[in-house]
Amino acid sequence: MRDLRSGRVVWEPYDHLVIATGAVPICPDLPGSDAVAICGVNTLQSGIELRRILDDGGAKKGVVVGGGYIGLEMAEALVRRGLEVSLIDRSAEVMGTLDDDMGQLVSQALRDFGVTLYLEEALTGFDTAGGKVTGVVTDKRSLPVDIVVLGLGVRPNTALAAAAGIPLGEKGSIRVNGRMETGMAGVWAAGDCAESFHLVSRRPFYIALGTVANRQGRVAGINLGGGYATFPGVVGTAVTKICQVEVARTGLQEKELGMLGIEWASAVIKSRTKAGYFPGAGEITVKVLAEKGSGRLLGGQIVGMEGSAKRIDTLATCLHAGLTVEEMINLDLGYAPPFSPVWDPVVTAAREVVKKL
Amino acid sequence: MAKERLVVIGGDAAGMSAASQAKRRRPDLEIVVFERSPHTSFSA
Repeated sequence: MRDLRSGRVVWEPYDHLVIATGAVPICPDLPGSDAVAICGVNTLQSGIELRRILDDGGAKKGVVVGGGYIGLEMAEALVRRGLEVSLIDRSAEVMGTLDDDMGQLVSQALRDFGVTLYLEEALTGFDTAGGKVTGVVTDKRSLPVDIVVLGLGVRPNTALAAAAGIPLGEKGSIRVNGRMETGMAGVWAAGDCAESFHLVSRRPFYIALGTVANRQGRVAGINLGGGYATFPGVVGTAVTKICQVEVARTGLQEKELGMLGIEWASAVIKSRTKAGYFPGAGEITVKVLAEKGSGRLLGGQIVGMEGSAKRIDTLATCLHAGLTVEEMINLDLGYAPPFSPVWDPVVTAAREVVKKL
Repeated sequence: MAKERLVVIGGDAAGMSAASQAKRRRPDLEIVVFERSPHTSFSA
């Protein structure tokens, strides 16, 4: 261990070790990528540094590279700070954890908020002057810029574990058993550096989310403390809010189902977040995917106004329970006009999928 | 006999959750957490 303040190196003996080294942002190895004002945002510290650059003033044009959760939330934040904001993504729509037909709704929300989107474009490098970034170069254009935010995803921070000979798994994350033990005696792992298990695909899975980290850490700690706990896995649930629009997803999406060779049916419905006549009712779009034949729920995606996103928890719970979309139709969910239409939008979507099985 | 010692590398959500659960169950355990940044539990 090296103390970063004193530079002193000390040996720390242990009886038990927890590796919770997290994840690191993926940084492109491209011309100019080490310039000042190109920022990844994955720790409180990196957020503080980004904010300092903005607080110093002078930044008028911002470019966000990558249209995932971090990229979109940062694009919104930069617009709110008064910058002219562009966003670059390689895909046809932002938010690659949604299918394109749902992602398109998020792309539109960003455009409505004033973000210029350059989709199906690849980052090829940066222009710099005096060590500071001045431009972002794609395969189609060059954009002048004062600040760049990278939202290209993360990878598990497992160089230390790998060097120690601890077995790795999916995407280089640390392989763990259900009690969060690694393949090395006395060594545990949890959080964004550790592997997970997908309860719908029944396969090892890597996901970097604080929710999962808290649950995995709890399980490791209970076992370390002499108790017994297991972490069964995840269904891939995530929510966010971009401008006025809430975005949520759970389970497997079409591209994952295609790779797994699972045949699916899907339905997309539009409904309201409250009874249609109730003041403040907003639009909600729900997509539900189910296995052809069996009707087993496989996943769902939601885009809509306030009151939309947390409806994903119904779908996530159904995935945990292994329900079919037919079983979902009779779920006894809460209803009163301020909260929902008589048929909850997620159930309306399930009913539509049943017709296509 | 020397206390049993738990070392945690990383003081955010997973590391601190593990440390606090372990300490609650085994108050005798000596626990040391290492964190590179000046902040802990910023996503927990």
